[in-house]
Amino acid sequence: MRARRVVGRIGLLLVLQAGVGCKQDPAVGDPSVKAVSLTLDWVPEPEFGGFYAAREAGAFRAQGLAVDIKPRGQGETWKLVAQGVTDFATTAADQVLIAREQGADVVAIFAVYQTSPQGIMVHQARGFARIDDVFTHPGTLEAEDVTWLKFLRRKFPDAPMKLTSNSPGIATFLANPELSKQCFVTSEPLQARTASSDPQTFLIADAGYNPYTTVVIARGEMVRKDPATIRKMILAMRAGWRAYVDDPAATNAVMGKLNPEMDASTFAASAGVQKPLIETAETQRTALGEMTAARWQTLGQQLVELAILKVAAPAEAAFVSLDRLPAK
Amino acid sequence: MKAFLQRWGTAYGPPLVVLIVGTLLLEAYVRWTHVPIYLAPRPSDVILTLHRERAYLLAASWSTAKAALVGFGLSAGVGVAIALALASSAWVRRAFYPYTVFFQTVPIIAIAPMLSIWLAPGLKAVAACAFIVSVFPVIANTLAGLIATDPALVDLFRLYGASRTAAMLKLRFPAALPNVFIGLRVAAGLAVIGTVVAEFLVGELGEEQGLGVVIVGASHNGHSDRVFAAVLLASALGLTMFGAVNLVARRVLRNWHASART
Repeated sequence: MRARRVVGRIGLLLVLQAGVGCKQDPAVGDPSVKAVSLTLDWVPEPEFGGFYAAREAGAFRAQGLAVDIKPRGQGETWKLVAQGVTDFATTAADQVLIAREQGADVVAIFAVYQTSPQGIMVHQARGFARIDDVFTHPGTLEAEDVTWLKFLRRKFPDAPMKLTSNSPGIATFLANPELSKQCFVTSEPLQARTASSDPQTFLIADAGYNPYTTVVIARGEMVRKDPATIRKMILAMRAGWRAYVDDPAATNAVMGKLNPEMDASTFAASAGVQKPLIETAETQRTALGEMTAARWQTLGQQLVELAILKVAAPAEAAFVSLDRLPAK
Repeated sequence: MKAFLQRWGTAYGPPLVVLIVGTLLLEAYVRWTHVPIYLAPRPSDVILTLHRERAYLLAASWSTAKAALVGFGLSAGVGVAIALALASSAWVRRAFYPYTVFFQTVPIIAIAPMLSIWLAPGLKAVAACAFIVSVFPVIANTLAGLIATDPALVDLFRLYGASRTAAMLKLRFPAALPNVFIGLRVAAGLAVIGTVVAEFLVGELGEEQGLGVVIVGASHNGHSDRVFAAVLLASALGLTMFGAVNLVARRVLRNWHASART
């Protein structure tokens, strides 16, 4: 789902990767703790706030883990996990199923966004009331030809608007009042508002395509052979995200130093926007980051209908939760 | 007929043998080492995909070809014109030549949104990117040829009272043609690269989508066989354009320049 992240920020990524982005947990190197790495599929932003909160507040250390958080950028991070380059990585649920069908032994262990933040932003002046309006009116939609767009194109086969690739940044959106643009509702609309534009957002999830997003994955082999580490990781992330959702300010300050592209007010606004996407009625019954087989099954069926997957494999194999982890 | 086949075999036999042997070796390597398909698809799968999805892939290739040809045509025309202007005077060359390097160094990703706004997304914006990426080699090589004209011949033209324009058109430009074609050969490949990159920044989706859009979508959806099929077609397009430039160069230069006689 990181497909929205255009390559325009590659330079920033390189800087982050070469320098501050490689900051490690102070416990890395301590023989009494287990050192693992977590590769992010973008730069430090609120969507990863809980991971940094877990590091800064000592939640990883409390579980005996030293987690090296590596901001990276777009691309299929699941390949890094499958090839053993990193222990954990963030990706989206549809990428997990795609990876598994390709033979990559990756398993989801934690889902930050229960409701996908993937959306479409339009100019409020157009008077659209719901996402269907984007696909029933002329104009232009900037988006990448990825899973969710295939879903919407299938749902609206006679859409009259012109479809174009997603250009970097928000300049085209600001310049063209008839242009709609893919976004993460936690990111681009906030930039557009700062630029005095009038963005209105619609979640793709409202149209019926809602993969878990910012999903932490691990190698299946690790889940089977070292469930204790997986358990500790889940508990630490849960604590980290709890802390971040409750009070993101301190962690935002830390991430702000790692990602000077985003200012403090945008960090705060983004953390506020994403809160209801992370903490839902479902997670209040269970816990932050929990997933259900029904959601995975639905996603698998949708990807088969879109001819992205050949078969919908059993959902239970794609993810684990604390109660389903091997007892060992 | 026999002579034709012999010539054809001499010209195309070696690269064909390398292609076939290389493909077979790669197929064997991927099968024996069990490289995951998401890292390297089997060549046979890529070939099957090329056959199975030929209508879809050829339509995308045609879109890419159109933009690449427009971009390349602009590079050829504008590049040669700029080189002629730069060669007209040492002062003009010193004043403006450094700025032509802009074309070589400008990150397309930074200016793509502006091109999208000015030209509208689609063919025009994509072709503009292809032009920007491919024009510098034409300028640099043509200029190098123009200013390297034999000074004795330039003096001869001056002695006979030829105007600067006549000297440029009848001596310096013809003498620079081998260099012009070197620039065009490099530009042919760059125009395809520029087009493919531009397509996933400012290209159209849907019926008019090019190979760049196909590559990004297929990559995201885990269809590595389709990714490599599209990459192969982009390479074939670049090769075709390169071959066409070579063909024209041979026709133009064969009667008087050593580079076109072998």
